Amino acid sequence: MFSKLALRNVGRSFRDYGVYLLTLTFGVCLFYAFNSLEGQGAMVYLAQNQTPAAEAIQVLIDVFSVFVAVVLACLIVYANGFLLRRRKRELGTYLLLGLSQGQVSRLLVLETGTIGLISLAAGLALGVAASWGLSALTLSMFQMDLSGMLALHFSLKAAGKTVVCFGLIFLLVMVLSGLQVSRARLLDLMQGNRKNEVLRQRPLSWSVAQFAVGVLCLLAAYALLLTFGMAMAVAILPICIPMLALGTLGTLLIFRSLSGFVLRLVQGQPRLYYRNLNLFTLRQWISKVHTTYLSNTIICILLLLAMGITASSLGLNQTMEAATRQQAPYDISVQNQSADSKGEIDFMALLEEAGFDPEEKLSGQWSVTYYYNDPALSGTNEVSAVMALSDYNALMASQGREPITLEPGEARVLETWGEDLATGGLGLTVAVTEDETARQLEVRRQVWSANYAGDPEETEEALLPLLRALDLDYTIIMNSKLLIYQDLMGSKLLALFLGLYLGFTFLLAAAAVLALQQLSQAADNTGRYAMLRRLGAEEKLVARSATQQVALAFLLPLALALIHTVVGMKAANDLIAVAGRVDSVGSSLMTALVLLAVYGGYFLATALACRRMSRNG
Amino acid sequence: MEEMLKVTDLVRVYGRGSASTRALDGVSLSLEAGEFVGVMGPSGSGKTTLLNCVSTIDRPTSGSIVIDGRELTALRGKELSRFRRERLGFIFQDCNLLDTLTAFENIALALAIVKAPAGEIPGRVEEMARLLGIEDCLNKYPYQMSGGQQQRCAAARAMVTHPALVLADEPTGALDSKSARLLLERLEVLNRERGATILMVTHDAFTASCCGRVVFLRDGKLFLELRREGRDRKAFFQQIIRVVSQLGGEMDDVL
Repeated sequence: MFSKLALRNVGRSFRDYGVYLLTLTFGVCLFYAFNSLEGQGAMVYLAQNQTPAAEAIQVLIDVFSVFVAVVLACLIVYANGFLLRRRKRELGTYLLLGLSQGQVSRLLVLETGTIGLISLAAGLALGVAASWGLSALTLSMFQMDLSGMLALHFSLKAAGKTVVCFGLIFLLVMVLSGLQVSRARLLDLMQGNRKNEVLRQRPLSWSVAQFAVGVLCLLAAYALLLTFGMAMAVAILPICIPMLALGTLGTLLIFRSLSGFVLRLVQGQPRLYYRNLNLFTLRQWISKVHTTYLSNTIICILLLLAMGITASSLGLNQTMEAATRQQAPYDISVQNQSADSKGEIDFMALLEEAGFDPEEKLSGQWSVTYYYNDPALSGTNEVSAVMALSDYNALMASQGREPITLEPGEARVLETWGEDLATGGLGLTVAVTEDETARQLEVRRQVWSANYAGDPEETEEALLPLLRALDLDYTIIMNSKLLIYQDLMGSKLLALFLGLYLGFTFLLAAAAVLALQQLSQAADNTGRYAMLRRLGAEEKLVARSATQQVALAFLLPLALALIHTVVGMKAANDLIAVAGRVDSVGSSLMTALVLLAVYGGYFLATALACRRMSRNG
Repeated sequence: MEEMLKVTDLVRVYGRGSASTRALDGVSLSLEAGEFVGVMGPSGSGKTTLLNCVSTIDRPTSGSIVIDGRELTALRGKELSRFRRERLGFIFQDCNLLDTLTAFENIALALAIVKAPAGEIPGRVEEMARLLGIEDCLNKYPYQMSGGQQQRCAAARAMVTHPALVLADEPTGALDSKSARLLLERLEVLNRERGATILMVTHDAFTASCCGRVVFLRDGKLFLELRREGRDRKAFFQQIIRVVSQLGGEMDDVL
């Protein structure tokens, strides 16, 4: 009997449950997709090559999943509370008909359970698809062709984690709704819809003062951020806390003052105020103001986090791509740091002896000796190492760059730390002198670099064990383009995954909260729209008023969040730029598009549903 | 006198075939400008269907309704909502004020919908509020007002646009007798001083007794008409009660 009623309730309030269900499904999908990273192509590839970042990604995703779970739990509890409030009358009627509070609680438990099961199943199915899409995205970011690693994959571990996590959340929701029903008074339930928030009319000067203080708070927060820069402002608590507090307070005050402000402003313009249904639309918006100024603030902050995090993670990515090219002029470089005590190595002979044919497998190889600097001979004391002109020009020629010429006795100090001389960089300051001068100096280090002829991965696989064996006798530093690339890809994916994971969670939360609020209000409004129609208001105007209300709710927090993000991105770019150059235009555009798709999608769905509801009434 | 509303041979059938119900079965009725007419009858006699048809919320199966010279059944879509907002005023049992708007704004909204000049709106709202005795609660929200005040506010909203015809559906149904009396008194004042034409559906003999004429419906047909003709209200009330009790068991449920 109860299960039948519960099922019918779920079916009947599908309009309200629709967005709830959608949000739950997206939440499950998001959670699964990122927790199943382990089995995705890119991560498998990184793990195979023992890239340290692979493990770091796993650990960080685990840590952040806890945080995401908390955010989703809050969202679901909030959404459920919203639905419960909307159903106050219905629950009141059950109690009035003689059901006990225990029975009504049981009814709610059954309903929540049904919703939970449906969304878990749908979310996991969608999650497998999303996981495949994420995998395709990340694999396409590698320079080499890894499309063979793309496969549809179901991670039992991630699914189990998702089920346990969301099971706990649903359990929490059940307990909370049960509590809410058992504490509620019948009178309140029956009059649930009637009570408006009481709007105290404050003098206009009060609103203006609030608005001014809000703007000042924001300006102060911006000033703090821009003066100290992102790194310091976030890391140093005495700066971080007041900045965040000022920013939040400022946002809150602006939203709070806006209602009184706008009402007075529009009332002062009779032509605007009394035009069409403006008066109604405005009052509708203001009647919810006591709940909306708080939720507007929260939504604004969520949007800021979503935009800021996604933009930064994408921006960081592009920076790293440029970094790989700079750091790896050769496919492999081996630095013999014990050349001063143990002598130089004949790499060609060594490889041939081990059965590795350098002629066939390498397209070129260069062995360069670096010497200790002696100012008496080189004529400069700015550098720690010296190299011969012929060696330098050979390296330049191998990279297709112009050779240099020296005046007799000149020592040309190179501006870099040897990044373009060996893969992985030398970590030395170098001067180039004429060969005769250099050869008189004491040997400091030998660097052997090579480029591969055939398949880079196969060649490297054959080469690395031979070179690693040198570790027994010499002090060796080995860097290859592939190793550096994998390392960078690891960090890049780490930034991207975390950024997208958190960004999407926040975006989902913000959009879902707004959509739920608006849909639930639209349901309250059907009676009002019917009244307007009875008074003779045109259909078109009623639908427009419904859309305007949704647009006000969606655009207001977005507008302020955009301003916050622009300031935040300016500070963040300064930070990212330390690591390299940043193409923030591209990443900002990309962020804007993704954001528009999700947020705009929720907005459109909500606006359409609200319009439909305004007509059905 | 000018004819404001003319209903001829109105039929409204719900459902089809053997399951059909004739809610209205050939009702004809005529209201002159400035008349205050009550419609009485037992539940299911077709009172509300008649009112819904006249108010353009429902469409009759056959017959004609002419208000102020316009044939209503010929109107469609936009024309219909235009006619409704410019020529008709409504007062309902549950007063249906918009709860997010103050009393002032509820009345002003009706004027905004008919696109009255913005400059005139506050003056007209205040004048109507004075007439209905609600000038003190103009800045209150509906839930801060008593039921009687809400209903008078709804009456002000219905009248403020100077409609050709005001339709009232059980306006006193949800009110205590004191508030009901106050509302009726105000409606009479509006009828007398402003010449408003009012058609009111009611269950209650006392409410009906303030009308100039009362028509009785039974089984979708008009079967009796009483005119007040200068008698005082008490005498008219007695006459209505007599009709109601003559009908005996049939109308037991109305008292």
